[in-house]
Amino acid sequence: MLEDKKFISNESIARARDLLATMERGDETGAKDVIDDLTHIRESVLYLEMGKLTRELHDSITAFGMDEQISKLAAMEIPNARQRLRHVIEMTDQAANRTLTAVEESLPICNGLESRSSTLQGDWQRFKQRKLDLNEFRALATRLDEFFQENTSDATRLRESLNNVLMAQDFQDLTSQIIKKVITLVEEVESNLVGLIKLTSGKAPDPASIKADTKDDKELAGPVVPGVNQKGTVSGQDEVDALLSSLGF
Amino acid sequence: MKILIVDDFSTMRRIIKNLLRDLGFQNTTEADDGTTALPMLQGGSFDLLITDWNMPGMQGIDLLKHVRADQKLSSLPVLMVTAEQKREQIVEAAQAGVNGYIVKPFTAQTLKEKLDKIFQRIEGG
Repeated sequence: MLEDKKFISNESIARARDLLATMERGDETGAKDVIDDLTHIRESVLYLEMGKLTRELHDSITAFGMDEQISKLAAMEIPNARQRLRHVIEMTDQAANRTLTAVEESLPICNGLESRSSTLQGDWQRFKQRKLDLNEFRALATRLDEFFQENTSDATRLRESLNNVLMAQDFQDLTSQIIKKVITLVEEVESNLVGLIKLTSGKAPDPASIKADTKDDKELAGPVVPGVNQKGTVSGQDEVDALLSSLGF
Repeated sequence: MKILIVDDFSTMRRIIKNLLRDLGFQNTTEADDGTTALPMLQGGSFDLLITDWNMPGMQGIDLLKHVRADQKLSSLPVLMVTAEQKREQIVEAAQAGVNGYIVKPFTAQTLKEKLDKIFQRIEGG
């Protein structure tokens, strides 16, 4: 550390000799004066070093642009990111609801098609077996007309619903763009934090030396993300079933 | 067959409700967490509880424990449908007396299988 100006110098060696000489002479005052001189030399070296360190710290903080960058991140970027992610939740929620509505509108149409078809099929079989009288045949003809009309309008409604399902997927493009921006921000925060840690501890943080999973045990793990939090988890319904059956389920 | 669906996300409740309707279960009611679900269970004659785990207010695991501790509800079948797939959590749910455990994302087929299993046991027992 004390490289620029060493404590051991010609000057301090000479003063050390003086100290020995004065002490051997029994010169009490002289010896104390020499010790004062030596202390002075030592202190001046320390002051110089402290001054140098302070300047270095100031320089690196300025060079890093830390103040400005970090305040901008904290004051602007992170609140923006929160807002962006909330928007992603809203968009995915809307898309899911639009899709569900379209499906809920389509399912009764399918049920109607199914039941009308099977009723008509019965009548048609009886017709083929020549079991229908004229009145019954006329009724069947009317029902067939209705069937064709209803099928046409049902097909139109189904197509509308399917188009709604299609259009509800437009969120994916937009949410991906928003999430990518937030990922970039997280990377920026990460590099700033690493820089800050380097500045204060002199070395970069080592992920291997940090204890994983220091979170509160009570906090739920939530959905498994591949490569992130798979430790101690099952990888699907089959493994859940296997685990439960091993417990006697 | 009266079923209570408990999940804090309305989309998930709608999905389960539609799947149940497709399986022939029309009589479903919804709640968004354990705190609202418990009085509904105590007040109504439900035959099955399908619940998420992670919810604000009362979580699914606590709802399950309350159900098992309640004299009137203790034998109510409970099916858990959750994103939680830590081994220790699945074991905890089993020990708390869950009747079926489905991890999200799940298929209509899985839901059907677990329901069939629960009803077999009811009929068998």
